Amino acid sequence: MKLYTILFGVLLLLTSCSSKSYVKLVDNSVERYIEVSKINKRRINDGLIEIQIIGENKTDKYRSFRYRVTWEDKDGFEVPSLSSKWTDFPAYKNAEFRINVIAPNTKATEYQIYIDKKEK
Amino acid sequence: MTVLKLALSASLTSLLLLSACAKVQKIDMHNDTGAQVMALDYRDFQQAASEATQSMLKSPALNIVNGKRHVLAISEVRNDTMQHIDTDQLIKKIRIELLNSGKVFVTTAVGGAEDKMNQESRDLRGNDEFNSVSIAKKGTLQAPDMSLSGKILQRNINMGDSKQQVEYYFMLTLTDLKNGLAVWEGESIIGKRGSDKSVAW
Repeated sequence: MKLYTILFGVLLLLTSCSSKSYVKLVDNSVERYIEVSKINKRRINDGLIEIQIIGENKTDKYRSFRYRVTWEDKDGFEVPSLSSKWTDFPAYKNAEFRINVIAPNTKATEYQIYIDKKEK
Repeated sequence: MTVLKLALSASLTSLLLLSACAKVQKIDMHNDTGAQVMALDYRDFQQAASEATQSMLKSPALNIVNGKRHVLAISEVRNDTMQHIDTDQLIKKIRIELLNSGKVFVTTAVGGAEDKMNQESRDLRGNDEFNSVSIAKKGTLQAPDMSLSGKILQRNINMGDSKQQVEYYFMLTLTDLKNGLAVWEGESIIGKRGSDKSVAW
């Protein structure tokens, strides 16, 4: 029993440490309108990572949001990029939306994507 | 005379008071919640540069061939707006992002990003005051194989009711200099609506 508990603990630790990448809705009000359903990741030209976030605007109204991405290298240092600035994106009513981001270079391996309401 | 002196000192005092009270606010460039302006501001250049570089990085046009980075020259980027803007506000951001991507080198030997010191340092050949070993040899400059050109357009539309619409088009082209073919093209449009009293130049 003890062995199982230890193994489970190690597994949990490994899972939590394996990826520093995530998508976060930074404002509670955003959660009321949109839902992120899928995150796709692939390597494209010359080994750059491409991320695609698929979500849905669950409301009957066209809405505009914004996102920004921070990239990290394997040592956890930030890789500077223009995508770290807020970028607006549209979410049409009752429809899927997609956000596509390309890593600034091959050193950028982990990402943190933040989605927020658009500033007026 | 006394009246004149009094008037002068009163004006000076008012001026001093006014300049002391004028509030200057530093822009938080990371989260600028300031109102939009009809003219192009740094946020617009940031958006256009970000869209262009993301599109360029996704396209195979700048893929490294045989382990060699492309050598990119900055060609003419025309300002066809009514504003006095330096197109480097856009191009510098793109250059930085592309250089950091590891896919290209930007040449400053020719084109719009030219550094005259490339030639001046070579003109030192034969000057006894300089150690000839430290002077760049002939045939060491790299010729570009890619060129970035484009223009920024502005279109003003009168909407009536004292309102106007201003459209800005950022058009860029990447040309393969070996064959003259455009291997990537990008366009970003930024539109603004507001009072026709707002000046867009």
